[in-house]
Amino acid sequence: MTVTIKSPSVHHETPPQRLPGRVRALVLVRDQGLAVLLVLLVALFSAWASPYFFTTSTGISILNAAAITAIFAAGLGVGVMTGVLDLSVPGTAVLAAVVMAKLLTNGMPVAVAILAGVAVGLVVGVVNGLIAIRGLDPLIVTIAMLAIASGLALIVAGGYDIGGLSQLEFLGTHHYLGIPAPVWVTLALYGVLTVFLRYTRGGYRLLAVGGNAEGARRVGIRISLYRVLGFTISALCAAVGGIVSAAYVQIGSPSASVGTIFSALTAVALAGVPFTGGRGTLSRVLLGAIVLSTISTGLLLANVQTYWSSVATGVLLLGAVALNMWTTRTTLRLLLVSTSTRKAA
Amino acid sequence: MAVTTTPAFELESISMHYGYLKVLDDVTVRVAPGEVLALLGDNGAGKSTLLKVMSGAHRPSSGTIRVQGNEHDFHSPRRASEAGVEMVYQDLALVDAMDISFNLMLGRERMSKGLRGLLGFIDRRAMRREAQLELDALGIRTAPVTRPVEMLSSGQRQIVAIARAAARLHDGGVLLMDEPTAALGHEQTELVEELIGAMAAKGIAVVIVTHNLPLVMNVADRIVVLNRGRKVADIETSRTDTDRVVSWIIGASVQGDLAR
Repeated sequence: MTVTIKSPSVHHETPPQRLPGRVRALVLVRDQGLAVLLVLLVALFSAWASPYFFTTSTGISILNAAAITAIFAAGLGVGVMTGVLDLSVPGTAVLAAVVMAKLLTNGMPVAVAILAGVAVGLVVGVVNGLIAIRGLDPLIVTIAMLAIASGLALIVAGGYDIGGLSQLEFLGTHHYLGIPAPVWVTLALYGVLTVFLRYTRGGYRLLAVGGNAEGARRVGIRISLYRVLGFTISALCAAVGGIVSAAYVQIGSPSASVGTIFSALTAVALAGVPFTGGRGTLSRVLLGAIVLSTISTGLLLANVQTYWSSVATGVLLLGAVALNMWTTRTTLRLLLVSTSTRKAA
Repeated sequence: MAVTTTPAFELESISMHYGYLKVLDDVTVRVAPGEVLALLGDNGAGKSTLLKVMSGAHRPSSGTIRVQGNEHDFHSPRRASEAGVEMVYQDLALVDAMDISFNLMLGRERMSKGLRGLLGFIDRRAMRREAQLELDALGIRTAPVTRPVEMLSSGQRQIVAIARAAARLHDGGVLLMDEPTAALGHEQTELVEELIGAMAAKGIAVVIVTHNLPLVMNVADRIVVLNRGRKVADIETSRTDTDRVVSWIIGASVQGDLAR
């Protein structure tokens, strides 16, 4: 029997190479809405809190205030994209800070102390991951780890703040080229993680595991490895965040502030990273953190009672999630309509 | 199809017990290269179990599996995949947020050359190019390879899932499909039918499990019907019709029809 391939065409018509205009507009709203919001906020506060708001020094202090939140948000964001919500972040942060502070007060070199703090993050992340891949609920594993790590931090520090870490000035309050050190750390961290997620096989597979773990497993990807990696990145960012916060105030404090994780999660949610995993853009998480600190700084300079910034953040978050849902649903509906009308024609 | 060719895929005397329950009883199925085989049966007839034996998800209690004449013992779907047997699952298992090319290349990414490759960087353009070539080879022009899978219709998604499995096959591989048209409308089913034909024309042995009899009549070269774990019919599609197939499925006229 001879086999003739009749130049098979699985679609009869040449498909449109571009998406319909309205769909592209919606995708633009979904992807760039946060940047537009930031511009609007800056314009609003520039007028409202004039002449204090629209200055270089305010801009820098907004970025500086955003930096710590952004560092935690980077870790949480990567975790969420991998499909894990790491609630142990505040505990990891204080444990890393306290271990570093303790070593510094015992006369260890700065580099060694900082590396030890980062190593704490590494260990916590790997342990979280190794427990979670046994099938335990990641939420519960990381809540337990939050308790364990913050308890250990109190034990290491003996229950007191470890102050006088003036050696860390270079990482906390020092400015380079007019930009504070925490902002540089944030930019470096986001740079490295963005390159990792977008351009490397590890990042690509990490997102695939977050998006469809079963699908990734079926094509032969070792999904446990990538889930552990997600936890590890999250904990490493938490450790860096703890170290930079300690450097900023020059105190290693053993009391975990659970509030940090919520502002970081708010930044992640504002960035439109769905908690179901598999997608999200890290640069937008950074933008989310900047939006949050713009609101609190702007309201402060506009002489509004600071408690309102929390209310404003909550309202904004609901608005952002609603907008995200609306664009996603409308996009799908438009696409389905356009496909079926093409078929009918 | 010539009788003398080595079957691409051969299951001989497969039996499967769950305790006292005999789900498959001495079933033998052969698929030639380029042949489309439809595996039919009512719910509980054993066709899903047989499919799982074929894909390596289950190990049979007894029987032999051969791919291209070589005997294999499938411990896992991965081993089946290595032997050249790929499965398209009903739930597709695509990553929604990623585009078509990345879904197609998932698990066999192309690394950059030199130092960048050693650092784990992937060559995104090479992956797009290769994905496009693989789709071209199957005659698929369904959407640009840069389109995210979440923006595809269910028919297009099915086609991407089938293409992904087909692209992972070496020459003369075996493709298993579980209800490839379950969620599709008429037009989209036609697209999948064309794709199945194109794959068979390339020499891929295709096994379809489905309830969709019109699909079977359109694309299958041969039909195997299971009933209560036994093979009750194995016949070329051209030598039978829908009514007879239905009667085998419901078990009405088994006598005298068994053709090997």
